[in-house]
Amino acid sequence: MTRASLCLATLGTLALAAPSPVRGQDSQFGMRGLGTPGRWESVRARGTAGAFAPFDAFSPLLEASVADVRRVSAGVTTATSWRTVDFGNESGSLRGSRFPAFMIAGPISSRITVAGGFSTYLDRTFGVTTRDTIDVRGNPEPVTDQVTSDGAVTDLRIAVAARVHRRLALGFAIHGLTGSTRVSAIRRFDDSTTYRTSTARDEIAYHGLGGSASAMLDLTADLRLAAWARSDTHLRADIRGRTVADDDLPFAFGGGVRWRAGSEAVLAGAVAWRSWTGGGLNAHDTFNWSVGTELGSPVSPVRFGVRGGQVAFGPGPKAPTEFGISAGIGKQFSGGRGRLDFALERLERKGTGLTERTWTFLLGLTVRP
Amino acid sequence: MLRKRLSRLAVLLALAGCTEQITAPGVCPDYCPGGQIAVVDTIFTDIIGRDSAFTGYLEAHQGEVLQVADLPGIADSRAIFQLNAIPTRVRPDTGDTATVPITVDSARLRFNIVRRDTNATNLWVKLYRLPLGIDSTTTFAQLLPPFADSIVDSVNLSDLLTRPQIFDTATLNFWGDTIQTDSAGHVLQVAQDSSLLLLFDLDTTQARYVETDSGKVAYGVRVSGDSLASMVLGSTEAGRGATIVWFFNYPDTTATPKNSTVSRGSIFDSFVFDPPTPPLDSNLAVGGAPATRSLLRVTVPAVLRDSADVVRATLILVPVGPIPGAPGDSFTVVARPVIADLGAKSPLNPNTAFDGVKRIAMNTADTVRIELTDLIRGWALDTTAATALMLGQLPEASSFSQIRFYSTRTPAFKPTLQVTYVRRYAFGTP
Repeated sequence: MTRASLCLATLGTLALAAPSPVRGQDSQFGMRGLGTPGRWESVRARGTAGAFAPFDAFSPLLEASVADVRRVSAGVTTATSWRTVDFGNESGSLRGSRFPAFMIAGPISSRITVAGGFSTYLDRTFGVTTRDTIDVRGNPEPVTDQVTSDGAVTDLRIAVAARVHRRLALGFAIHGLTGSTRVSAIRRFDDSTTYRTSTARDEIAYHGLGGSASAMLDLTADLRLAAWARSDTHLRADIRGRTVADDDLPFAFGGGVRWRAGSEAVLAGAVAWRSWTGGGLNAHDTFNWSVGTELGSPVSPVRFGVRGGQVAFGPGPKAPTEFGISAGIGKQFSGGRGRLDFALERLERKGTGLTERTWTFLLGLTVRP
Repeated sequence: MLRKRLSRLAVLLALAGCTEQITAPGVCPDYCPGGQIAVVDTIFTDIIGRDSAFTGYLEAHQGEVLQVADLPGIADSRAIFQLNAIPTRVRPDTGDTATVPITVDSARLRFNIVRRDTNATNLWVKLYRLPLGIDSTTTFAQLLPPFADSIVDSVNLSDLLTRPQIFDTATLNFWGDTIQTDSAGHVLQVAQDSSLLLLFDLDTTQARYVETDSGKVAYGVRVSGDSLASMVLGSTEAGRGATIVWFFNYPDTTATPKNSTVSRGSIFDSFVFDPPTPPLDSNLAVGGAPATRSLLRVTVPAVLRDSADVVRATLILVPVGPIPGAPGDSFTVVARPVIADLGAKSPLNPNTAFDGVKRIAMNTADTVRIELTDLIRGWALDTTAATALMLGQLPEASSFSQIRFYSTRTPAFKPTLQVTYVRRYAFGTP
């Protein structure tokens, strides 16, 4: 494969990704909150349930890992999920396809690498349909309401990473949070002859800023530690130039450890804590963990992982919980200039009165022209 | 090869990105968005103003139908029409330069009964000869003498309707459809639109051919019955006017006299009634002949323009009293927006999609509610629209009945607008 064809393939993929809003994995739990926080993970990291995210240069979690990128490279992630929501007496099936992350990175000197890209910060895509009977002019009128939101808050990141020592890499990034959602609220009356359907549509624009720093330390040739911290300011929601909401965004930090157990076995674990409680009544601080492994040769590895923790938004005083298992494979081609990654994830979220189960299929393409 | 595979992959990505199902049942309030779709119902009592009634839009002779009724204590309405002239001389043969006079044998008069009270019993239709020269200025009083002494013919329509249908081949060939007839030669046919075609066979004393008048004749129609004596005849404006066929012969220089016919329609038709429509007062009048309309100007509230979505709007009008008319009869009031508010001469919006229509029963004084949802929704969105509407009768100048509503000069019963709207949804807040 020539360099030109690789570039064409990359551009083609980006062109396909560009028209669609960047979104992560939806959840009904995010509906009464700021949204569903995205996963800052590449397909490779997702195949290990996120355990490899701190060490994966194409996971937009930790900047220091970018220091290992020694040639210009780009990666894109796509995800298709099938979700069932179970409220006990009601249930529904949902489906969605997203392009949750894109990243491009390359060295500008022998020690410094820069990266840029976007990922989902908060997914704001949901839709609910409810039936009710209301009293209008003294008569009961059955109605059907549909409220939908389609869009996301995107994290635009510019990162700089430097290998300050052969065992230590540092990274810094600034994050511009931007995005929009198209929202609609529709009320349909069963008596459509007498009552017209009410439709309200709008577009909400989101703005925010953040910064992050991270470090990666090789204790030994096989043992690597990573730590990161990130602080985001406020998320401002504007409708036609008027600010309708201004919510605090979390301070977050986390870390991970990776152990190379042999030439064809790597184990990793990661944790993260985020202080979402400033984000409203239904917001909760979250702690999440994951462990995973990558087995086989780097050319075509097999990955497994388990994750657990809490969900940032949900009704009640207690945060909903989540538990997921993942598996994935990767395949390098063209002498390592390109790589395809596939992952499959099964996730279950539980909260007050709702259990949500999701299958997610992910496909990632990384090219290194 | 690899390039092909990558292309296929890109297509796969694109297809995957197209499928979506994001809507699920909502369990509120926990798993519903924070905003509420709130419905508000309000009667706006002060947004209708500067309301006025205007008359003279259409005269009775311009109406689509002619009302005929004999309702003691309510109204006596009579149709009148004048039929066009015929040639008094003809050329016996093609190529002849000389003309010969015609001799009329008889005539057949036909008119179209568009609507009648099917509960009416012993309903008589009476035909009167009227003097020539009737026009739009002719009054009920002027025609009292001929309506008293110039009866030409009469037919018991109730009886005729009970007669057997005649459908033998000869009848069908001649009339084109089945007929009902009586011994006096009156013929009744049911038209395709279910209206009735009533035909009178008239001899020369009933259809007087006067050469100096070029065969022009004028007739009037009254009805009587045990009760509910009311019907509506078609007019020339609607293409349903009365017609007459003259049967005549003329001498032939080479053979026996020849028979021929000529058909003529009405050149004028109208209806006169008593008592006349009372003059306009401070109330809002709609209907009657001449046609009367009422203009209502509406100030659309800011709440409807800025922060609401109208789902239902109803104009509420309180009648001054019952509308006198035949029991069981009704007439239609239409509320139609104007394109520009020019007072009495405001042009009406030809787009009938915004019209509010209400059928009003006679002899009741119930509050009239006209649905104007689409109109008010349009006004709420279009700030350049003239927010005025005209109340009129449908069809106009086709009935002596006129309804009067209280205007804003009577605060207790003035026109109001009841609007049900949905408040602007509070997007953006969790």
